Amino acid sequence: MDHIIETHDLWKVYRMDGLAVEALRGVNLTVEAGEFVALVGPSGSGKSTLLHLIGAMDTPTRGEMRLNGRGLAQMSDAERTRLRCHEIGFVFQTFNLLPTLSVLENVEIALRLAGVAGREGRTRATELLERVGLGGRMRHLPRQLSGGERQRVAIARALANQPALLLADEPTGNLDSATGQAIVDLFRQFNAEGQTIVMVTHNPEVAAQAVRVMRMRDGKLMGQS
Amino acid sequence: MFDIAIKNLFTRKTRSILCILAVMVSVYLNGSTATMNNRMYDAMTAELARYMGKIYVQQGGSSYPPFDSTIAQATAEAILARTDLGLNLEESAPLIFVRMERGMMPFMPAKAMVIGVPIGKENVLFGNVEATTGANRFPGTADDVVILGEQAANYYNAMAGQDVTINGQTLHVVGVLKRSSMESANIAAIVPLPTAQRLFGKEGMVSAVLLTAGNVNKVEKVSATLRQDYPVLEVTTQNDMQQEAQKVMRMPMFYMSMMSVTAFVVAVAVIMSTMVMAVMERTREIGTLRAIGASRRLILSIVLAETLILSLIGGIPGTLLSVPMAAVMQSRLPTPVQLTQIVIFALVAGTLGGLYPAWRATQVDPLEALRYE
Repeated sequence: MDHIIETHDLWKVYRMDGLAVEALRGVNLTVEAGEFVALVGPSGSGKSTLLHLIGAMDTPTRGEMRLNGRGLAQMSDAERTRLRCHEIGFVFQTFNLLPTLSVLENVEIALRLAGVAGREGRTRATELLERVGLGGRMRHLPRQLSGGERQRVAIARALANQPALLLADEPTGNLDSATGQAIVDLFRQFNAEGQTIVMVTHNPEVAAQAVRVMRMRDGKLMGQS
Repeated sequence: MFDIAIKNLFTRKTRSILCILAVMVSVYLNGSTATMNNRMYDAMTAELARYMGKIYVQQGGSSYPPFDSTIAQATAEAILARTDLGLNLEESAPLIFVRMERGMMPFMPAKAMVIGVPIGKENVLFGNVEATTGANRFPGTADDVVILGEQAANYYNAMAGQDVTINGQTLHVVGVLKRSSMESANIAAIVPLPTAQRLFGKEGMVSAVLLTAGNVNKVEKVSATLRQDYPVLEVTTQNDMQQEAQKVMRMPMFYMSMMSVTAFVVAVAVIMSTMVMAVMERTREIGTLRAIGASRRLILSIVLAETLILSLIGGIPGTLLSVPMAAVMQSRLPTPVQLTQIVIFALVAGTLGGLYPAWRATQVDPLEALRYE
């Protein structure tokens, strides 16, 4: 199997008011293509930090990190931005939809950023929204949707450019258990079609639905199941 | 991404409207100062054009119009009698100028004045300005008559055939002149010279002598001769008047320019503060855009697009409001080039005002925005 993600001795140290905070301490991680991996751990364990590094939104203090064989640590800001646009999809705990755009436009914008505009972008966005069950809500604004519906829009947006990797940071954190389960079911559906997913959660029941669960504590990977 | 910029502006309607209003007022102010500058420049040019080939002789140290000048009528007549100067006597005459009401500001022309001219020499000062009603000449030798300029007729609230009272004496209005490009013609009440002398106690005195050279190319030579022969008097040609007028106009035009600069600074400041607030409020949105792959350049262009849209929406009506302003000031309407310049003023203000907020927006880190609560 191909490694989508590889990290070797990954460190992330934050400096705050002169104090050094080691958020990640020598993390070695691999994720294969087509896997559904859950990162679990208590608050402050470093799981979100690891996700942000893998998602090319931050740079490590030291260590190596590869996405599809390409080194992330040495990339420029512009290269990381392009990566986030074309190869990584991100789902946030707080949905992070653009409030002035409709549901359809929120998905379309990801396509426009990747250079897919006009009818082609609209068609693809429509198909994705229908897949996540929001075909009838495309003209609505985010404030007119429930939490679960907003998260489904976010998933559609994250998958718009058929990324190599979908990252989800506590995707069910702001949802009730039933709605959260629906979101996880969607992840499993897309994973069954070959989508590689890494999901951060503090909820062990949610984590258990992934194919592989990796535990983190105090900035280190403790083990997996 | 203009559609995104427009949606962002419409979402925050009140702030956008306030910003647009401020830009509109600033642009209108800029357009108005341009109109006022046009007005002053045109008035000066039209006034001066009439004096081509003319020489004014008046009391030394006095200004134009020579309200504060007094020279002996005998001196004036002696100058007119000189054959060596080669004067066009048909177009030369002694004159009296009396100011009846000052302009609103010190640098603005008088609102009303009386000019005394010899009977038969009514055309010396203003040329053959036609009358809208009545005559543009004094009838026969009557001396209790007056010809009113267009604005003077409004000032005295009189028409041809009616009587007016000037400085306590009743005079008969024999004509009202058509609007002239010379402002002084419009505000003048023109009376026979002896009448003016009697009205204002200036018997044997005049304010100035207006001379016309027989050969326009000899103006400088004639004026040089007069300066030499009458050192206590001031001899002014059209060139001298132009330089003097430019000196006088310099301060008001500078003041107008400062108003224009102030309007520009206000527009820039309003746009900048509006957009800085907008960027701060939208840190999370901007961070999200960055997280899903928007480049810093795209973020910059969205913010700048918003400022340019605000500038245009405020700038175009502000520019168009300058047009009726020009009509009110009875100035020529702004040309398409001037209108375009005013719109460009708005766009430049928008660009400058948007640069800092746009830069701030590009500095939003996607990670910081995700942590933003």
